[in-house]
Amino acid sequence: MAIKKKKSVSKSSSNGNRPRTTTTHVAADAFVRPPKGNSANLRTYSIPDTRLEHPNLSVRQSMEKDGHVRYEVTGNLDAPVPPIRDSKYLGRQQCIEIYRFMLLNRKMEVALENLYKQGKVVGGVYFGLGQEACSCASAYALDKDDWFAPMIRNQGSLLVRGFAARDTMMQYMAKADSPTRGRDGTSHFGDIEKRNMVSPISMLGDLIPVLSGVALGARLQSRNIAVMTYIGDGGQSTGVTYEGINFAAVQNLGLVLFIESNLWAYSTPSEMQYRCQDLAERAIGYGIPGVIVDGTDACQVYDAAREAVERAHAGEGPTLIEAKMMRMKGHAIHDAAAYVPKPMFDFWKKRDPIARFENYLVKEKKWLTAKENAELIADVERVIEEEREIAVNSPMPTPESAEGGVYCEDGCHEIKPKYGMPKVKKGTASFKQTEAAVHLK
Amino acid sequence: MQLTYLEAIRQGIWEEMDRDPSVFCLGEDIGIYGGAFKVTDGFIDRFGPERVIDTPIAESAIVGAAFGASLTGMRPVAEFQFMDFIPCAMNQISNMVAKTHYLWGAPAPLVLRGPSGGYVHGGPFHSQNPEMWFVHNPGLKVICPATPYDAKGLIKAAIRDNNPCIFFEHKYLYRRIKGEVPAEDYVVPIGKANIVREGRDLSIITYAAMVHSALEAADILAKENIDIEILDLRTVSPLDREAIAATVKKTNKVIILHEHSRTGGLAGEIAAIINEEAFDYLDGPIVRIAGLDSAIPFSPPQEHHYLPKVEDVVREARRLNAY
Repeated sequence: MAIKKKKSVSKSSSNGNRPRTTTTHVAADAFVRPPKGNSANLRTYSIPDTRLEHPNLSVRQSMEKDGHVRYEVTGNLDAPVPPIRDSKYLGRQQCIEIYRFMLLNRKMEVALENLYKQGKVVGGVYFGLGQEACSCASAYALDKDDWFAPMIRNQGSLLVRGFAARDTMMQYMAKADSPTRGRDGTSHFGDIEKRNMVSPISMLGDLIPVLSGVALGARLQSRNIAVMTYIGDGGQSTGVTYEGINFAAVQNLGLVLFIESNLWAYSTPSEMQYRCQDLAERAIGYGIPGVIVDGTDACQVYDAAREAVERAHAGEGPTLIEAKMMRMKGHAIHDAAAYVPKPMFDFWKKRDPIARFENYLVKEKKWLTAKENAELIADVERVIEEEREIAVNSPMPTPESAEGGVYCEDGCHEIKPKYGMPKVKKGTASFKQTEAAVHLK
Repeated sequence: MQLTYLEAIRQGIWEEMDRDPSVFCLGEDIGIYGGAFKVTDGFIDRFGPERVIDTPIAESAIVGAAFGASLTGMRPVAEFQFMDFIPCAMNQISNMVAKTHYLWGAPAPLVLRGPSGGYVHGGPFHSQNPEMWFVHNPGLKVICPATPYDAKGLIKAAIRDNNPCIFFEHKYLYRRIKGEVPAEDYVVPIGKANIVREGRDLSIITYAAMVHSALEAADILAKENIDIEILDLRTVSPLDREAIAATVKKTNKVIILHEHSRTGGLAGEIAAIINEEAFDYLDGPIVRIAGLDSAIPFSPPQEHHYLPKVEDVVREARRLNAY
């Protein structure tokens, strides 16, 4: 099931105000099934794969001569590095903008690592090293009215959606001015007013039904929106992942789910997480489109995200996108990832999403001169330094600020439908006072 | 108008859906079938399939979707076919929904409702009273009405509340009790207990189906000149501390009666509140009457043995009154 191609290519994207290519209409038909094929016995499905290489590495446990069980990697570790695929949609300006977000993402995490080493971070630091293209280019495909929810490594998505680096930095340092005012750390915060972000929780998969519910709420208000969230190759093992995708599929909701196949779930390789070849295949079982992209290629990530977002806006339901890449650090800063075979790091280091995108922009496309690139990098570093300064200087919260806010009290929030009061059609049926056959009378 | 407990809940949700287009229902078999207990019977004809949504059998998805919709300003009412199934959605409720306002300031105006309670031989998976799991979970409001009047007034209050409310309907009461329910719009405030019987000798603090057991026991005890006061909590989180203290200060003797297991039950919490608020007023030990510390068994004689009975209340009241 390939993603339907639009007949006309929509206008070029710019984050946050891309004109919608379809008129807003409500597809409340929750009973969509794929058309029946001609062959009754043999069904064929396709999972589009836009990658320009198909790494064949596999990991297994082996008992070594010293008596220790370790992970061993096999496959073609010397395969040549693939080029960046030209985007169907992105132009020069947008590519540079995504590149800048990726740099901000990485340099913010370098700053966080330093803050940790200075003892300023409370708890650990989680990195998206090697995954910046996936975080940034995916969120870049969203419209202003769309919603998203990051996972711990999608700190770049927050920057794309308009949060400042200081927000995440203050979260890590548990500061009074952090978005949660010290009550939670990391990327665990949200904003339902301006930036349409649902706060993640540490348990994996629960965001999927929640984001589906956001799309349901919007649809009841006559808006088809895209709701984007992420899950790892580890997190997708949870039951709630199934429940959430299935709910979105049955209700035909605009879920855009990125499965970030980053090969390691804490210390467990994907071979011990699932049996199928590619997680995108799971889409077949849900009856929704599934695609595979190179998660280290910002153009591929963006194109897939954009097409999924357009399907969502057109009321055509959810899309599952598997982005293949590798987590290039440990689970968190405490974890040196010594269990990862070193050749795997070497292999994926050559596929660094930023270095390759830089090469693409500067050398291949010549969209940036070396001087412009150096200026851009210097500017990103300056921004991060300013943000770091502000974050560090924020005070710690007072002990008493632990109290209050458990409930939404009178006057604390005005609750009204975000996209307008639902238009209701009422039937003529009147209130029933019935006695019927029921369970456990 | 005389309505059963179930009809009162049905009318409460119906009126809120009529009044407010942002209210909608979702759950298993709630549409054309009208719900396992027929609480939403006829709703799909009136409000349409967009607002009365049959879901897959997936409790985490139901709660998650309700929560997500609430973030866009909707007021979802999600049905659990039986409250025994609520732990299937525990992570959504406990870690997602309940913490959201405290952590990142997003209100979650949703209602999770469904039948709970024993006395109908439903067995270990269709008779439980799992309210305590949520009482121990800050951020939720937990409501357990005993009468048609309160059931309607509290479901309406829950739907209008800006916080996640868990509404435990007692399935034994669904069709067994009828009561006067006013035709005009009203709500019963969440968090306020109610004296359902005034008395001077001894207080019984209870809620839901046990209110009716307490009333029956009080009639028996009245013949022995033991004058029982009954406090119906109506909401078990947040608890009405003032009402608990006031009744203890008045009668000086207290029985706490609930259906769920004794250990870690609500009586322990209420006893602690009495200790904090009214210790000097006690003229006898705080007495607990509760379900056994086991799963609730299926066979009628066993279920009868497990659950608190009117005779237990009468016996304990006599013993305490003699202090």
